[in-house]
Amino acid sequence: MDKLTKEQVMHVAYLARIHLEEEDIEKYRVQLKKLIDDIDKIKDIKNYDEEFLISPIEHNSTLREDAIGQMLDYKEVIKNAPNFNGNFVEVPVMINE
Amino acid sequence: MNEYKTTVGIEVHAELKTKSKIFSNSANNYGKMANTCTNVIDLGYPGVLPTVNEKAIELALRAALVLNCKINKKMHFDRKNYFYPDNPKNYQITQNRTPIGINGYVEIDVKGGKKKIRIHDIHIEEDTCKSIHNKNKSMLDFNRAGIPLVEIVTEADINSSEEAMKYLEKLRELLLYADVSDCKIEEGSMRCDCNVSVSKTEKLGTKIEIKNIGSITNVGIAIDYETERQIELLENKKDLKEETRRFDDKTNSTILMRIKETGNDYRYFPEPDIPFIELSDQYIEDVNNNLPMLAEERRKIYLKNGINEINVQKIIQNRTISDYLNKFINKNINLVIASNLLLGDIAAYLNKYEIKIENTKLTDNKFIDVVNYLDSQKINSKIFKTILDNIMEEDLSIDEILEKSGFKEINNEELIDIIKNVLKNNEQSVNDYHAGNTRAIKYIMGQIMKETKGNANPKDVNLLVERLLKK
Repeated sequence: MDKLTKEQVMHVAYLARIHLEEEDIEKYRVQLKKLIDDIDKIKDIKNYDEEFLISPIEHNSTLREDAIGQMLDYKEVIKNAPNFNGNFVEVPVMINE
Repeated sequence: MNEYKTTVGIEVHAELKTKSKIFSNSANNYGKMANTCTNVIDLGYPGVLPTVNEKAIELALRAALVLNCKINKKMHFDRKNYFYPDNPKNYQITQNRTPIGINGYVEIDVKGGKKKIRIHDIHIEEDTCKSIHNKNKSMLDFNRAGIPLVEIVTEADINSSEEAMKYLEKLRELLLYADVSDCKIEEGSMRCDCNVSVSKTEKLGTKIEIKNIGSITNVGIAIDYETERQIELLENKKDLKEETRRFDDKTNSTILMRIKETGNDYRYFPEPDIPFIELSDQYIEDVNNNLPMLAEERRKIYLKNGINEINVQKIIQNRTISDYLNKFINKNINLVIASNLLLGDIAAYLNKYEIKIENTKLTDNKFIDVVNYLDSQKINSKIFKTILDNIMEEDLSIDEILEKSGFKEINNEELIDIIKNVLKNNEQSVNDYHAGNTRAIKYIMGQIMKETKGNANPKDVNLLVERLLKK
């Protein structure tokens, strides 16, 4: 990859929903560029004819029988949430209208 | 000036009718108290691993088959990455590269024939959690997170709101009769998103997505509204942006939700926690051979048995009635009478008492008897109406109910005696009849029916009276 632009770094930050301070952008730009260059090295592997691999396990998925097992108490569920309202987990409103 | 052409593609999400979720064994029971049907997998706790529900694969395969799709025999799942509170793992497990079915079609009736709406693909994915939005807060219910879904994506083959509604009705019918999904749009087990664009040329216009429309009728309204809105903007030389809009059923209009993240931003990659799934030819064949009888086949059988088209459509729209009627297809009874009863008096009874047919005392034998008695005119519809409550509520046979209710069959000799007696006691009417007043016979008939307490067949009575009067 030739160059990673400031705009691209900001776009990645947006997708990750992270707010970056102006002075951090250049720092992350350099780090991200190094990361991408490292990953790009995979492209250099010659004669790569292995079948498309998605998992380190060679056998196929074992399917699970459709039966209901143990579930969590809702108190357990909302315990890890910063805010809740009755049985619901509460978050800042998500839709902009 | 060229006319604008509307182009629509539809994405439908349908929840699969399984007991448990797709990647965990918590209950697929949306509608329970919020956040009571979840476990650590649905909530995306660190270190948990998904396991694939075999029933979800079977139901998705059924859907792919009834949509005439080519099946991806070797498939895997992918991660779709995005940050949003409805998605606790920050990725949704879906199928991007190897959807279970591709290149299918659904046929709809249009003016002058049939039209094929091509299916781009049908893929399996997990549902997100349900969010309810208040003014300042959103409330999350993770009971829905992980419910198995199929997403069915059409090509941009739909050119009007009418075609869109027809496609959705047909799709709903297919999924419902294949026992894939309940398809209750109002309850959210089937959800429709439409991509609408307008253009004056062959090149498609800017695609605008309308999300979560709550009924098939509203899909039609939303498409018509959106078409007009886009044309008006273009006519005023305004640019359209790719965006997601929401249908508002209070104002029958669409409202901007957000500017879309584009495909690349989802950074799809294969889900490494779920190895490949291979569907053998034998398995696909078994699933295909065990499909329930679909609506199209039911229609043919009903029409062949003389049921009129309007009633056939009514039966198909009510799966319970259709299943009930199907029990009697090979029982050699009059299916026209059977369907009239089911759509008429019996349906009215079930509605009135808000009860299901299987929870009444109407056994298969009783139903067969009552249809046969009506068919042979042993009883008439008036008697049937009178004893309907007894039929539905009592453990008695039809004969026992008829006897108990004082309806007994009158044999011909008894009937002739009654008629002779009535004629003797109504000389004036008999004379009137002979004097050419044909209406007099109606009065005589009435008297006879009164004497027989309605147990005689009016046609028989009429024939006998005329014969006796001519003597």
